[in-house]
Amino acid sequence: MSTIHPRRRRAFAVAGAFAAATLVLGACTNNSGGDDDTSDAISKSNTDNDKSGEKVVIGFSAPAADHGWMGSITKSATTQAEQYDDIELKVAEGTNDVNLQISQVETFINDKVDAIVLLPFDGAAMTSVARKAMDAGIVVVNVDREFNSPFAARTTVLGDNYGMGVSAGTFVCDDAAGKTGLKVAEIAGIDSLPLTQDRSQGFSDALKACGLKVDNRVAAEFTVESGEKAASNLLQAAPKIDYLWNHDDDQGVGVLAAINNAGRDEFTMIGGAGSADVMEAIKADNSVLKATVVYPSTQAADGVKLARLLVQGKSLSDLAEIEVPRMLKLAAPIVTKENVDTYLPSAFRS
Amino acid sequence: MATPLLEMRGIVKEFPGVRALDGVDLVVRAGEVHCLLGQNGAGKSTLIKVLAGAHGVDDGTILWEGEPVTFADPQAALRTGVATIYQELDLVDGLSVADNVFLGHESSRGGFTRNADMNRSARELLKTLGHPEIRPTREVGSLSAAGKQIVSMARALSRDAKVIVMDEPSAVLDPDEVKGLFRVVDDLRAAGTAIIYISHRLEEIRRIGDRLTVLKDGRTVAGDLPAKDTPTSELITLMTGRTVSSVFPRRTTPLPAADPLLSVSGLGRAGEFADVSFDVRPGEIIGLAGLVGAGRSEIVETVFGARRAGHGTVTVDGHKLRNGAVDAAVAAGVGLCPEERKSQGLILDDAVYRNISLASLGRFSRYGVSTEGAERSAAREAARSVDVRPDAPDRVIRTLSGGNQQKVVLARWLLRGCKVLLLDEPTRGVDVGARAEIYALVRQLADSGVAIVVVSSDIEEVLGLSDRVLVIADGAVVHDGPSDAIDASGVLDRILATHEHQKEDVA
Amino acid sequence: MTSLQDPSLSVPAPPKGDRGGSIGLARNLGLVIALVILCIVGVATAGDRFASSDNVLTILRLAAVVGVISIGMTFVITGGGIDLSVGAILALASVWATTTGTQAMAGDVHWIIMVFSAILVGAACGTINGLLIAYGRIVPFIATLAMLASARGLAEIIADRKTQIIRDQGFLDFFGAEPIGIPVIVIIFALVVAAGWFLLNRTTFGRRTFAVGGNPEAARLAGIKVQRHTVYLYALLGTTCGIAAVMLMSRTTTGSSTHGTLIELDAIAAVVIGGTLLSGGRGTVVGTLFGVLIFTTLTNVFTLNNLSTSAQAVAKGVIIVIAVLLQQRIANRKT
Repeated sequence: MSTIHPRRRRAFAVAGAFAAATLVLGACTNNSGGDDDTSDAISKSNTDNDKSGEKVVIGFSAPAADHGWMGSITKSATTQAEQYDDIELKVAEGTNDVNLQISQVETFINDKVDAIVLLPFDGAAMTSVARKAMDAGIVVVNVDREFNSPFAARTTVLGDNYGMGVSAGTFVCDDAAGKTGLKVAEIAGIDSLPLTQDRSQGFSDALKACGLKVDNRVAAEFTVESGEKAASNLLQAAPKIDYLWNHDDDQGVGVLAAINNAGRDEFTMIGGAGSADVMEAIKADNSVLKATVVYPSTQAADGVKLARLLVQGKSLSDLAEIEVPRMLKLAAPIVTKENVDTYLPSAFRS
Repeated sequence: MATPLLEMRGIVKEFPGVRALDGVDLVVRAGEVHCLLGQNGAGKSTLIKVLAGAHGVDDGTILWEGEPVTFADPQAALRTGVATIYQELDLVDGLSVADNVFLGHESSRGGFTRNADMNRSARELLKTLGHPEIRPTREVGSLSAAGKQIVSMARALSRDAKVIVMDEPSAVLDPDEVKGLFRVVDDLRAAGTAIIYISHRLEEIRRIGDRLTVLKDGRTVAGDLPAKDTPTSELITLMTGRTVSSVFPRRTTPLPAADPLLSVSGLGRAGEFADVSFDVRPGEIIGLAGLVGAGRSEIVETVFGARRAGHGTVTVDGHKLRNGAVDAAVAAGVGLCPEERKSQGLILDDAVYRNISLASLGRFSRYGVSTEGAERSAAREAARSVDVRPDAPDRVIRTLSGGNQQKVVLARWLLRGCKVLLLDEPTRGVDVGARAEIYALVRQLADSGVAIVVVSSDIEEVLGLSDRVLVIADGAVVHDGPSDAIDASGVLDRILATHEHQKEDVA
Repeated sequence: MTSLQDPSLSVPAPPKGDRGGSIGLARNLGLVIALVILCIVGVATAGDRFASSDNVLTILRLAAVVGVISIGMTFVITGGGIDLSVGAILALASVWATTTGTQAMAGDVHWIIMVFSAILVGAACGTINGLLIAYGRIVPFIATLAMLASARGLAEIIADRKTQIIRDQGFLDFFGAEPIGIPVIVIIFALVVAAGWFLLNRTTFGRRTFAVGGNPEAARLAGIKVQRHTVYLYALLGTTCGIAAVMLMSRTTTGSSTHGTLIELDAIAAVVIGGTLLSGGRGTVVGTLFGVLIFTTLTNVFTLNNLSTSAQAVAKGVIIVIAVLLQQRIANRKT
């Protein structure tokens, strides 16, 4: 079990992928292995920054890959690392036990790594040990789940949860084209998480702009099983729906199963997070799925790239700024039949 | 005489520390009901398990129709033709009657059970047994105890058993059901099946038995007796009498006059015993005599607080004991050597000295911290004073013989320094030599001023050991008087009188 | 005979603890070997990275939380019980001790309030477990399963499934300190192990625990208050859960309803491979310490070598089976 995955994809990417903090490394690849679960979008930057520099040892730790998106996080980080011969990535296996994750970071500190890319199981719980790493002179890049202290990370890469809701809501408004009285439903993720609340708030705010509102809302738990259960209940409760937004494509597998079981097809469904299966369904255009909103699973790959730049003292070449920014918030674009080919290579497999 | 169907000769079975079977002979002929008698602990259950193939034997031979066989495992016993119906019936409550009958030899084709076949065969078997009303598809858990027994018998028949062992089949049945059972047994006998029938109830043995064998202390003390007309007194003497006569140590000093240490007044528990009253003075030994099931153990356990009394009071040294509280009894200076030594008395995997100090832990600690040195030496001293062998306080107690295990329990209460000692079957599973030592110990204890209550199925033992004897029959005291004013047959007369009396009541 | 009733006997005392010593060593020999092998593997694969004092402290810090619970679990299992709810109790204690209310009170008085409330919540949950089992006559598996569900649920309700951040710097400074180079939580762990060993082997309480687990009926008939003792055992375990909650609070600077998920399995595994009989009556604190260290060192070696936790889980399972098989061999040889 080695850090370096043997799969090597030669890829050519557009320059300045980081610029304007767009999430996706919009990639035109010459290879589209559909069954490959590693994102094809992972590539070098095609700038002077690619030049091999001093050796950078990066420790990486993330929660357990019990979810397609989370699995892709680690895979894209390792794939990214192998693009550069000056990166040595030490991957601590995913865990949902904060005590163990703290211990992993402590091991990285003992090992005197140059940088740590950390997607915490619980941002608050990992803050203290991240701070300890920073104090030890290690560059910490925080990914996706934010620490509660600005001193605990040099740079933070975040997805835009509110923006996801806005993108989904805006798609509904555009598609409805001024019609009113349409029924909108929503299947959320774990309801008490701030990210779920942010997504729902964005969705509701965007709908308000065109006079629509969420008529039926249920919450699932990001798992296939919970998605099936929540969707079955929702479909019972709402005999007619026009639009359905599902926050998460992993739980969406269960949602689609429930829709098929109920034999319903009168509505348009929008996904969330952007799995490859969902994008292929959008491309095929033969199901209720017409769009999805991307929540990039390449954030950790970005974290690895940024960590390398930070340690080597480089900057983001398309920015005038000479330092790497303190925070990157990645965009949450809507993916439809029209632009699906752009995003499919960076999508993750559930 | 034709070759017996089953013949066991000199069967020996040893467990660590105890010889459960020590030369058992048993001869069973086809078409007879052969009764097996003996006290608890005489070796009946071990013998049944040997017959069922659950225990291997250490010595002796088993002949089946004259040919030597071994019952290596239960399957082998069943194949040979011996089926066993255990007291706690080994049926699976959640399965149907037919499933239970064919459990372990299901009729199947290619891994699929053939339910229709099994149901049909089960129905025929149940009809043979005279119980066509039990549907093969019924869940066994919903049947009465009698119904379950019939299912067990059907299972035995389904195996083409030539010998069926029944372990106290009537214990769980009401009189009508017992009549049904006897009819089935008669039918089986008429069909040539041999039945080994185990029961404590002499009336039953008279009613259906052909011949009987009496076990005592793991040995056959009498075989091939006619079941119908061997006198009851002879049977009871065989079961309870001495195999080797022990010398009971007699009282050397007259019993000093004193107020009673233990006073039991009007004690009763619904369904077990009623209105039991007696006093025990310091230095006095009271014996409770009676047959198994008469309520003797229940009485001492209630005195000790291990069972909650329904009525009555127990007073120790003038203080009334809290009802149903063992710790209160122990604190007041009462100790119990329980009937089931292994399951109730000992922590089998622990060291001898720790078993001895178990009831005195508080004494060997300061602020809850053990003073282990003092504890060990005191426990060792106690073990020596009762002559526990080997003299190895660190030995795991499981490896000691029954007699030495019993001495450890005695040593526990010696160490505790208790004033009242309750001994329930103190010599069960104890070999003859060690018995004499235990008798001497008990007498010694009494002489040092302890008030003692002894329960035993061995009437001679009770009479020999005690100053006063209470005869218990069916949960009531039927006689109370000095031990030297009555003999064993006198005690038996009292017990049998109660039984006769009850039979008349029923009739 | 009467001299027996005199507690001040002047018989020379036999050599102390020889039985415990010899059997203890034989029983723990396999564990020592396993730990040594793990360390050799660690040094061989990771060299100085493994054999550094920093790494040893990393192992011990990781071991501390599950270790403290395992010591409590040793008592319950030795006493013939089992507790599945320890992780949930830990979560509830951590959440209860970090609510804004508790933290405000701690701010007004002293951070020790947070420590007390965590330990009190743990002890209270343990006591409820004990009462249900001893007096309600619910089998331990079911009673603690119910506690598992309800304690974690209650933790989620109180925390609203959010992570509660500890603001009290005094608390964080105290437990984050490293006097004489050893982290406070490791010192606490060591103290709990020492106290646990003493309690089990040198006190009346420990002796009663062995008796209650070995044969509850015999213990009862010897005058031991078996039911009350059972309550004490679960309360003790609950208390260790509270202590573990404080340790995890200091480590994560948070209280959360997700803390301690599945920690019960790690604790039970450590206790069992340590040589405590799951059926009760025999138990060893030292063995449990080894069990915890073996599992934590295993995790550390795997982490140092970037090996997956899935492979680690397989290795853990194999170790449990081998340890128990060895134990049975040794037990059979002894009798």
